[in-house]
Amino acid sequence: MLRPFHALAASLLIALISTTLPTATAHAEAKKYKRSVERYSIPDVVLINQDGKKVRIASLLQSDQPVIVDFIYGTCTTICPVLSAGFVNLQRRLGPASRNVRLVSITIDPEHDSPKVLKEYLKRYRAQPGWDFLTGSRADIDAVMKAFNAYIPDKMSHYPINLIRVPKDGSWVRIFGLLSSREFLEEYQRAVAPPVSGGRP
Amino acid sequence: MSRHRFENVARRWRPWLLAVLLLLGAAPGRGAPLVPPELSKGEILRLGERMYREGILPSGQSMPAFIRGDVEVDSSAFSCSSCHLRAGLGSFEGGVVTPPTTGVKLYQPYRRPPSLNDVADQAGRFVYAKTVIERPAYHRESLASSLRFGVDPAGQIFNDVMPRYPLGERDMSILIDYLEELSSKPSPGADSSEFRFATIITGDVSTEDRQALLAPLKSFIDQKNQQLAMYNDFLKFGYSPTVEMKFAFRRASLEIWELKGAPESWPGQLAAYYDKNPVFAVLGGISNGDWRPIHDFCEARRLPCLFPITDFPVVSETGWYTYYFNKGYFQEGDAVARYLGRLESLPTEASVLQIVQDSPAGSALAAGFLKGWGEIERSGVTTVRLTASQLADRDALARLITEHRPGVLLIWSGAELLPDLPALVAKLSPQAMLFLSSSYLGRQAGRVPESVRDRVYLSYPYRLTPFVGAKDGGFDAKVPILASAKQFGERRITSRTTAMLRQATLRGLNLLYDNLYRDHLFDVMSMQMDLTVPDYERFSFGPGQRYVSKGCYIIQLGPGAEPALMPRSEWVIH
Repeated sequence: MLRPFHALAASLLIALISTTLPTATAHAEAKKYKRSVERYSIPDVVLINQDGKKVRIASLLQSDQPVIVDFIYGTCTTICPVLSAGFVNLQRRLGPASRNVRLVSITIDPEHDSPKVLKEYLKRYRAQPGWDFLTGSRADIDAVMKAFNAYIPDKMSHYPINLIRVPKDGSWVRIFGLLSSREFLEEYQRAVAPPVSGGRP
Repeated sequence: MSRHRFENVARRWRPWLLAVLLLLGAAPGRGAPLVPPELSKGEILRLGERMYREGILPSGQSMPAFIRGDVEVDSSAFSCSSCHLRAGLGSFEGGVVTPPTTGVKLYQPYRRPPSLNDVADQAGRFVYAKTVIERPAYHRESLASSLRFGVDPAGQIFNDVMPRYPLGERDMSILIDYLEELSSKPSPGADSSEFRFATIITGDVSTEDRQALLAPLKSFIDQKNQQLAMYNDFLKFGYSPTVEMKFAFRRASLEIWELKGAPESWPGQLAAYYDKNPVFAVLGGISNGDWRPIHDFCEARRLPCLFPITDFPVVSETGWYTYYFNKGYFQEGDAVARYLGRLESLPTEASVLQIVQDSPAGSALAAGFLKGWGEIERSGVTTVRLTASQLADRDALARLITEHRPGVLLIWSGAELLPDLPALVAKLSPQAMLFLSSSYLGRQAGRVPESVRDRVYLSYPYRLTPFVGAKDGGFDAKVPILASAKQFGERRITSRTTAMLRQATLRGLNLLYDNLYRDHLFDVMSMQMDLTVPDYERFSFGPGQRYVSKGCYIIQLGPGAEPALMPRSEWVIH
């Protein structure tokens, strides 16, 4: 027979599940993002990272490591914090293995986002090594956005995109929408999985 | 089980564990009244404000929160105000509608007409830009439940980007008390029929500059009142206004707050003006001196001050109530530092000699340079402060340069020094560079002796690319406006004030609708798209950003009496 405290906890857990499970189930049934596999040609431009160092974007992105890219800005409300929470949670879930994936955020507000702003942003999110935040000239950042078919003329009209580079063939998984951390991990693992004959990323 | 695996399991179950613990604590109260804690009202609001704006619990810990079901977020990076904004009236950004979160709005039922956007996705993209069509009014308990579980009183699940907050009873009560108070009373200086504005002019401003400021301001006020008269005529003829039209027309008035005497007496003078007739916002203003006394007054009274003409703004990362065009002289010094930091031809060990005229302009330029130089983690700067008479001693100046042999020489002084530049440059090593401020040189900036123009660089904080539009910010000009050396020293009072009124401010005022809160004015202005304006390359906004023009060119002068302005840098230098 259950002791009173355990009975109470059990009944509350049921109440909890009955309250929250529909949400979880709904998420499991209907993915609220669009996924496609694309090929992009990365422009040969130089951006600047949070440490003020110049970074040749083509070399950074076309590495043997898995790479994930998003477009955000330092004072953004609403979707950038969600995208960044996704990055930091992916790093947490991967643990020490997170060093094997390169996370790259590129600002869409280069006028304001100096390396100092970028660094403070990463610190605020408790980013681990392996997550870089890049700024640069507006023309160079526009070129990168256009290369990813993600050009945003004004930061106030941006949208949530994650781009995961598949190391084995250099293709990119393009994800439009917001992912749960479980979905993000699954998409990442699917992209970096060893090649299966006849399989697709 | 390895420690890492244990941590992963613990992390996965943390939301559930937290929620269970929360329910154990909160279950008896879920249907019971949410009782405010036994704290003073002021203390509750202080703590609630910190939760709302900074995501910090009364205990000092970060507020726990989860999004998308299992993404744990740190509320100190992702606070309520980051989306619902400071006034709590919500936002529209990145395709996401964030609804109001004030008690005034939440405790009323909400209903809107159905929209074509009420679909799951459009052209392959998930549509976030919508609110629920209808919900009943919240009350304290249903609001607490919604914040915890993400379901509104009608059973509709919140958008994925809205975090769920597993808060205990006491913390939840404090947060809700704050939401009930947030934007509950309209700000002074505005009502359904009128906006009252002021502008501020200090005693050191010339009659000519005063007129240059007042002309666009009076024109703006007259135009607002004329539009109101026309709108009233339309109403008489039976015109049915749209919601936007209904709130776009109000009577407007402008007071001129003249500040005389020493700056220490300005706060008292400002208080007397304000107490006699509170205004909703200060439109523009002008001073030749430090804007700080006015800045501080506006912060203390939570009074918006929109784009004053000043070369000495307060450079702050936390100031809220003053919008500036840029950081003035400080920004020019900072740009020179960043330009040098990016110059691959400059050895990292190159020494910098900064000769500073002992004046507010010299001090601001030097402060900006040192700040920028420090941020790029460079050192090796020698700063020498000289009075105007010391600067006039050319032999002493030449000895100073010979003694230091700088790789970079910065001279933050007025134009009196220009005729002697060839003699000073002759004392520099062949690779050394000389930097001056075009703003400090003023109208004489184009008179840099031709023999040294290849060695001299100027900071220039205005537009260089042709402006394809009219001087009032419209786009009907037949011929693009080109930057020229003739503009050196122009304060651009009328054109800048016109741009701020007709482009940035008017849009903000119109978007207030019936939410007459000063914080909301900043919220809506900060969420507007970038603007192309005559004097600067770009105005860019963003939550908390208070200096809308972020750029400053480094230029050199071409040959001749009216030299071309040749950019040597990007507009914004990182």
